[in-house]
Amino acid sequence: MKIQTTTHVDILDDSILWNNLKAGDEKAFSLLFEKHYAHLVRYGNSLSSFAEKVQDCVQDVFTDVWVYRESLNDEVVVKAYLLSSVRKRIARLNERDHIFRKTTSTDSIEFLFDFSVEHQLIADEETLGKVSRLNKLLNDLPGRQKEALYLRYNQGLSVEQIADMLNVNYQSANNLLHRALLNLRKEWKGNISILVLLSSSVF
Amino acid sequence: MQERNNYTEVEDFLSDESFRTWVRSEEDYEHWEEWALENPRRAKLVEQARLWLLAMNVPETTLSSADIQSALESTLVKITKKEATINKINSPVQKLWRNYWLSGAAAVLLFGLLLNWFYKDDFVSENSIVTYKELIHDNGEGLVEQTNNSDKSQIITLSDGSSVLLKPNSKLSYPKIFVGNERKVYLSGEGFFEISKNPKKPFFVFANEIVTRVVGTSFRIKAYSDQPNVEVLVRTGKVTVRSNELISNFGKKEEEVVLLPNQALRFVRQEFTFNKITDITQDESLAHSVGNIEQLSFEFTDIPVAQIFKTIEQAYLVKIDFPHSKLKDCHLTTSLSDQPLPEKLKIICKSLGNNTSYEMNGNQVIITSNGCE
Repeated sequence: MKIQTTTHVDILDDSILWNNLKAGDEKAFSLLFEKHYAHLVRYGNSLSSFAEKVQDCVQDVFTDVWVYRESLNDEVVVKAYLLSSVRKRIARLNERDHIFRKTTSTDSIEFLFDFSVEHQLIADEETLGKVSRLNKLLNDLPGRQKEALYLRYNQGLSVEQIADMLNVNYQSANNLLHRALLNLRKEWKGNISILVLLSSSVF
Repeated sequence: MQERNNYTEVEDFLSDESFRTWVRSEEDYEHWEEWALENPRRAKLVEQARLWLLAMNVPETTLSSADIQSALESTLVKITKKEATINKINSPVQKLWRNYWLSGAAAVLLFGLLLNWFYKDDFVSENSIVTYKELIHDNGEGLVEQTNNSDKSQIITLSDGSSVLLKPNSKLSYPKIFVGNERKVYLSGEGFFEISKNPKKPFFVFANEIVTRVVGTSFRIKAYSDQPNVEVLVRTGKVTVRSNELISNFGKKEEEVVLLPNQALRFVRQEFTFNKITDITQDESLAHSVGNIEQLSFEFTDIPVAQIFKTIEQAYLVKIDFPHSKLKDCHLTTSLSDQPLPEKLKIICKSLGNNTSYEMNGNQVIITSNGCE
C-alpha cells in the first residue's frame, strides 16, 4: 500500500502491543493482528484441511483476545499464546466434526504440514541434492515430531512453550525434538555412507 | 555470543536465533561466517546445521495484505457481535466501539440492514428491468457523461482520486465533484474500478438492476443493457452488492451479497437471482473477461522505474512520457496493487524525490523529474 522500506510493524515489540491492547488500544490490536494473522493461518492449515474454517478459528482467537482483554495475563509470550490458542480451537473443531469418534483433547489433531526446500539460498547442485534428501527424511517423520521441530526452529518457541502446547511435560517435549533429530541423523549418516561407497566404487 | 564457542551439536546451532537469521536471510550481524571458518571442525558443524535449516523451509504465506485487511474487518464484525451479546447480558452497556473501527465492515453491514427495513414495506414496483437511462434520470444532479466509442479501454479519473478503466461501448456518468456523504456513479457496459479509500464517503456504482457499495477497493462490473446477466468481480478489498431499490420488492425479498477478492457475483436479470461465484477460475465466462489490469502484478521489488511505468501503460492503456536518461538508474520497491491510477503516480513521484511530479491529460501522462535522490 505504501512505499515499503522496513515495515514498522516488525519493529514493534509484541509485549508492548499486548499491554497496550489490554489497556483498550484498538490500534495495538490491529497491528498485532496484521503481524500474526498470516503465520497463524499457515500453522492452522497444517492442522486442518479446511482452509475456510481455519481462518474462522484464527479470527475467533483474536475476537476473544479483544473481548476478554481485561482478563488476559500480561506475562505471556504473545506468539506462543496465539499459536496455542489456534491449536486448541482447531482441536475443538475437529472434535465437533468427529463427534462419534473418541477423541482426547488436542492429541486428536495431526500435523499435516510438509517442509519445503529453500531453493533461493542454494547455489550449487551438490548442496541441493543433500538438502533435498534431508528434506525428504524430515517429511517422513511422524507428525508430532515434525510439529515439534516446526514450533522450535521455525516459530522459535522454547521447549517449555512447546511442552505446554502439546500438553506434555518438559522431558517429553525434549525427547520429541531429540528423537526427531536422532532419527534424521541416523538415516542421514546411512545415506551418506552409501553414497560414499557408491561414488568410490565408480572410480 | 561467547556461548557459541561451546556448541557441540547441530541442535545448539538450530536453537540459536541469530544463527537461524543468518542462514535464512543471509544477514550476518554476528559474523557467523568468519567465526565458522576459524576452525575446520566448527565449519563442518555449521555447514551441517545450515543444510538442516535449508531443508526445513516453510513457504511464505499466500495471503496478500488485502486478504489480511479483509480478515481484520471480518474479525471486527465478530467482535461487535460478540460484545453486543455480552452487553445484553451485563448491563450497563459499555461503549467500546469508537469511530476508528466502525468505518469499516461494520458500517457496511449496518447499512445493509437499514435498507432492508426501509424497503420491506415498499410498494411493489411494476418495473422489473432497470436501465441506465432511468437511473440517470432519477438522479437529477448535474452529471458528466463519458462514452467510450473507441476500440480500446479508456481511463477516467474522478474528483476523489478514484479511477475507472472503461471498456469500449460503455458509458459512465458521474458528478464533476462529489458532494455530500456519498459518491454515486452510473455505469452502462463494463468498467474496472479502483476506488480511493474514504470510509466516511462510501462509493456506489449503479449498474442496471444492482447497486455495488464499497469503501475503497478494486473490482470489475459488467452491465450491458442488452445482456442477460450483470456481473461484479472483486480484485481487492470487500464490496457489497444488492439489488436496486427500484426493483427490490418485485415479489422478491431484498438480497445483499458480500464479495471478497477473487469472488464474483452474477445477477440473472430474467430471474432476479444472485449467484455468487467463489472460484472465478472455474467459471469460463468470468475467467475470460479478466482484463490486463487484473493480471499484471503491481508488487515491485527493486525494479527500474521505466519498467514500472511500462506496467502502468499496459494496465491503464495510457502513454507515459518521462525523462529516460535522468531516471535510468532509479529503482523502486513498492506495492501499488490497491491504488487507483492517480494514487499510483503520486506514490512513484513521491518516492523518486521532491522534484518529481506528474500531470495527466486524458490518456497522456507527463512526468517531470530531475532524477531520483
